[in-house]
Amino acid sequence: MSGYILKRLALAAAVILTVLVILFSLLRLVPGNPVTIALGPQATPAAIAHYSAKMNLDQPVWVQFATYARNVVTGDLGEDIFTGRKVAIIVGEQIGYSLMLMVAAMGWAIVLGIPLGCLAAVRPNTWLDRITGVLSVGTIAIPSFLMAIWALLILSVQLRWLPAMGAGEAGDYGDQALHLILPAFAVGLGWVGYLARMVRASMLEVLGEPFIRSARAFGLTPQRVIFSYALPVAILPTITLIGMGFGGLISSAVFAEVIFARPGVGKLIYDSVQARNFPIVQGAVVVTTALYILVVLLSDLLVSWIDPRVRRVL
Amino acid sequence: MSVASSEPTLEIRSKARSARHAQLRVFLTNWQAMLGLVLVVIFFASAIFAPQIAPYDPNAMDIPARLAGPSWQHLAGTDQLGRDTLSRILHGGRVALTIAAIGVSLSLAIGLALGMLAAFGPRRLDSLLLLIFDSVRSFPTIILGLATVSLTGPSLGLVMVIVVITSIPQYARVTRTAALVLRGTDFVLAERSLGASTLRILWHHILPNVVGPLLILAAMDVPVVVSLEAGLSFLGLGVTPPTASWGTLLNEGYLVIRNSSWMVIMAGMPLVLTTIGFTFLAEGLRDILDPRMNRGR
Amino acid sequence: MQHLLDIKNLSVDFHTLQGRMKALRNVSFGMKKGRILGIVGESGSGKSTVLWSIMGLLAPNAKVIGGSILFQDQDLLTLSEQARRQLRGEAISVVFQDPMTSQAPLLSYGRQMADILYRRREMSRCEKRGAAAEMLGKVGIPDPAFRLDQYPHEFSGGMRQRAGIAMALLTGPNLLLADEPTTALDVTMEAQIIHLLRDLQAETEATVAVVSHNLGLIAELCDDVVVMYAGEVVETGAVRQIFHAPRHPYTQALLECDPARIVERPARLPIIAGELPDLTSPPAGCIFADRCPYTLPLCRTEKPPVVVGTDGGLARCHIQSGAVAARVPGAVMPAASGPLARAANEAPLLETRDLNIRFPTEGMLLAKLQGRQPKGLDAVLDVSLTLHPGETLGVVGESGSGKSTLGRAILNLVSVTTGKVLFEGNEVQSLPEHKFKPLRRNMAMMFQDPNGSLSPRKTVRALITEPLQIHGIKERDLDREAERLADMVRLPRPLLARFPNQLSGGQARRVGVARALALSPRLVIADEPTAGLDVSVQGEILNLMADLQAEHGLAYLIITHNLPVIRHISDRIAIMYLGRIVEQGPAEEIFRHQHHPYTASLVQGVPQPDPDRKRAHRGLKGEVPSLLERPRGCDFVSRCPNARPLCHEAKPPHRGVGPHRVIACHFPLA
Repeated sequence: MSGYILKRLALAAAVILTVLVILFSLLRLVPGNPVTIALGPQATPAAIAHYSAKMNLDQPVWVQFATYARNVVTGDLGEDIFTGRKVAIIVGEQIGYSLMLMVAAMGWAIVLGIPLGCLAAVRPNTWLDRITGVLSVGTIAIPSFLMAIWALLILSVQLRWLPAMGAGEAGDYGDQALHLILPAFAVGLGWVGYLARMVRASMLEVLGEPFIRSARAFGLTPQRVIFSYALPVAILPTITLIGMGFGGLISSAVFAEVIFARPGVGKLIYDSVQARNFPIVQGAVVVTTALYILVVLLSDLLVSWIDPRVRRVL
Repeated sequence: MSVASSEPTLEIRSKARSARHAQLRVFLTNWQAMLGLVLVVIFFASAIFAPQIAPYDPNAMDIPARLAGPSWQHLAGTDQLGRDTLSRILHGGRVALTIAAIGVSLSLAIGLALGMLAAFGPRRLDSLLLLIFDSVRSFPTIILGLATVSLTGPSLGLVMVIVVITSIPQYARVTRTAALVLRGTDFVLAERSLGASTLRILWHHILPNVVGPLLILAAMDVPVVVSLEAGLSFLGLGVTPPTASWGTLLNEGYLVIRNSSWMVIMAGMPLVLTTIGFTFLAEGLRDILDPRMNRGR
Repeated sequence: MQHLLDIKNLSVDFHTLQGRMKALRNVSFGMKKGRILGIVGESGSGKSTVLWSIMGLLAPNAKVIGGSILFQDQDLLTLSEQARRQLRGEAISVVFQDPMTSQAPLLSYGRQMADILYRRREMSRCEKRGAAAEMLGKVGIPDPAFRLDQYPHEFSGGMRQRAGIAMALLTGPNLLLADEPTTALDVTMEAQIIHLLRDLQAETEATVAVVSHNLGLIAELCDDVVVMYAGEVVETGAVRQIFHAPRHPYTQALLECDPARIVERPARLPIIAGELPDLTSPPAGCIFADRCPYTLPLCRTEKPPVVVGTDGGLARCHIQSGAVAARVPGAVMPAASGPLARAANEAPLLETRDLNIRFPTEGMLLAKLQGRQPKGLDAVLDVSLTLHPGETLGVVGESGSGKSTLGRAILNLVSVTTGKVLFEGNEVQSLPEHKFKPLRRNMAMMFQDPNGSLSPRKTVRALITEPLQIHGIKERDLDREAERLADMVRLPRPLLARFPNQLSGGQARRVGVARALALSPRLVIADEPTAGLDVSVQGEILNLMADLQAEHGLAYLIITHNLPVIRHISDRIAIMYLGRIVEQGPAEEIFRHQHHPYTASLVQGVPQPDPDRKRAHRGLKGEVPSLLERPRGCDFVSRCPNARPLCHEAKPPHRGVGPHRVIACHFPLA
């Protein structure tokens, strides 16, 4: 038990450390003074002075890195070069929107994709299976940012059914939900097809296993065979896959937030890149990494909760 | 001794050649695979011969004809500066093809080597590599790409780096899994007992068995790479104007989406068609290379 | 006697890539109430297809094209799926072949068994649990109430099969079907399961059908027998009739081929020459005509009639109907080639001295931090063997006995921890590969899985000549060499162009032999040379090996779990248990008299293919312990019927008994 958790934590630490090293060295590998590179041409002299002091540029490189790492670990992600606000607070304001979008997108994809794949596997070569097959290829074929643009064009610009820009009025949950539909649709659609295909393939494989035939030989109802015996086994690789797909999900969210001008970490990073506001970019990347580690850990725990074989290793 | 659900053992009387004919027949009668093949050929041909078949200079402006819809003069309409969208799409295909060809072959080669190393190297190295593959594969690499661009500015080279880094883990994992299975089989042990060196085993006995799945994966990966390039260029991380790429075209279209819907539709089509083409082709190939999948149909 | 189940003219087709395969053709037989019926046949006989037809769970590519299956006066084939499901698990239940894969991995036994009782609405959850625990106790699983909450992966192989039997009997079915119930198990476990099935049948009076290729199991367990060949029933009858006075030539040949029935050591093992007919277009006449020693023209043109014997048994054969006169057998058994010359007084070719192989189970780092030796398991412990040129040594053991590891260590495929391996008098253990490579020309290995030990994307020609290429032998013409080797192992030359997956098991095995012999080695290590082969084919390989030995003076080290087979080809035998040799000596002597209780139980534990020689012996209790839990004293102490206090304390040393025997036992059998 402890060994497994130790390993996981060590991995998490390694990932964070790698990202910190990359961010840290990026700044120093680009030729020029790191401060002016990081803050860009529009930085105020006050910000430059503050930043230089903070980066310990007169110290050896490893001291600079240690200071940087310590700051990050203690939650000090630096300040916005224009307004001087804490980056941690700025990212904190935005992260909720991104999480909401990702949960909504993945949520509807799971709710639709898994049963669809399951049904297609149970009734192979029926019209349902064929439609699912065509639909999966179709939805996977359209990259999520293209989907977002097309959805924007059709449902918002042309038909004017749904609001396109922003996240809705603060406090008005109905409005916020309405604003969530388009981006969540665009981000999730590819996953519907992807999950349906995955579940169909792994379900078909599991349905061919001898233990399924034994369950049928004991006269269990088809429903029970599928839902209690086959599905839990078939779903395991899918859960891992969802955890693995987190990176892709964040990328799609970046596009969706940019295209729908929706607040969120992705939009924050994009805007900060445009404005050359490196401290915010850096802080947002660190937070995203932490989030990523959390998601991977969660999917691992979920798998071990379902699978007694792994549970014992834990 | 045979289990009832599988067919009882039967001596296979067909010769290897006729088996290959049967495979070809399966492929040729699969409409999806054939459609995929046609689309893929179009993708390659249109990119390679873009200068010859494009009706206009992709950068020639014609301000009076700006934001036009499809017509006989401009089959896919024009953009804000009156440039012919079809010509720009054709030239954008060259960017896509370049990225796909270099990115896929580079990541395939590196992934293959790393995967073999993981499977046949020391155990410890295997777990380390596996952790790296998994971490990189699920890491939101695009975010790191954005961070880099904020310092260096956009470039095609950066897109290539991102493409290769995100693609390697898949190839490495597929190679590793296949090679690891093979490593545990009796036939590899048999080769070792005959005195075959590890290099000989890898080259003569492992490679021929992993190359099929890897090629399928590569075919599946082309649209992913093309979309990634388009996406990054859309965000302004990759190809910069005035060079035409499917991503920058979409970006230009996005900016004028309320005035003219044609650009985003037209610029999006090649992405969709490329994806469908390569996906269908890959699936068709898998059906003939992996007979197990056939039986389910 | 009343029939519980009557199968009439059952025909089943499989749709395959090769075409419509007529897997079952007009299969008819009945099952008498309260008796055990054995359905016996080799691979491709369709015996399992019969079983799954009864269950109505044939593969999707199978189709029943005719006939009826009457069960309690209902034709199962005309019932709705709903009605058939009502019978499954209630009136008819099944014990599966491989308990490792046939039980749901994510559900506890309690849950799986409660699910089987789902139709019993009147039972509370608590009662179902109680019934399940009671049944687990009945099949010999200790502490059933606790075990109910465990998952299949927490059970050992034998325990799983017991649990599988408990699941099948939970509802008290009238008809129990068993599909190769012991094939996945070791010899000592097999004996336990046979006894368990027999006892439970006597107690519940259920009607049982056992499908198996194992003649010993059929003879021990069954009252009636159905013999199948290539999708047809060739003979039925009472077990004594079948085993003592078989009427169909196939039954006769099958029995003759079983090495367990051969008492004298023959120079050559009997075989059934030829191959299964192509079932996509089965022959017009008798299905066995191609391989039958009595075949006359009539047999090839006309289907043989069903002839009822004096005891009510049936045989489908022209001889029985009198249409064909039975000649004196044209010998299923080929002529003997005279006793093999063996030189025993030469210097040993191979020797191992106190060989130990230890696999670490934890990293060096952790152990070093705690300042101790890393934990590990001893796969091979103190093994000393000698093998002379031209001699055959059989190493026998169950799974986990370390026999395969031993073979691999000799070939430097596994590194030796301590001890010596001497080949032609020189120490060769743990040599670096470049120094060992020249030796590989003199020692070769045949692997267990005939098809799986051939690189799948190479042609037979490339595979056979590969040893020459590896060792850089350029002076020989590879094509000519391939043909020479193919001829040597009696592999038809056209097969040289094929790929391994296009070969039958016997053909692939020949390719393996050719590869092993390509460089004319002096020593061949053969790991389970008959694994995966039908009884009628395994004799061919063993005869071939014997011929090649006589011709080239090869020494064989044969690793196997199959005692009856090894008996006929070994000069000497070494019995391994948990990595240690417990008894070693000349084959004939060991079969005549055993000193070690484990050897005794192995020799007597082989099910006898003779219904009159049913064992009184109950077999060993328990299972082979994990190598991680090696007993402190004698390795065998946990299962030994004669264990005494000393056995728990000290490992018995190896000591000589008589001129040729070595045993490791404190209190050997007299």
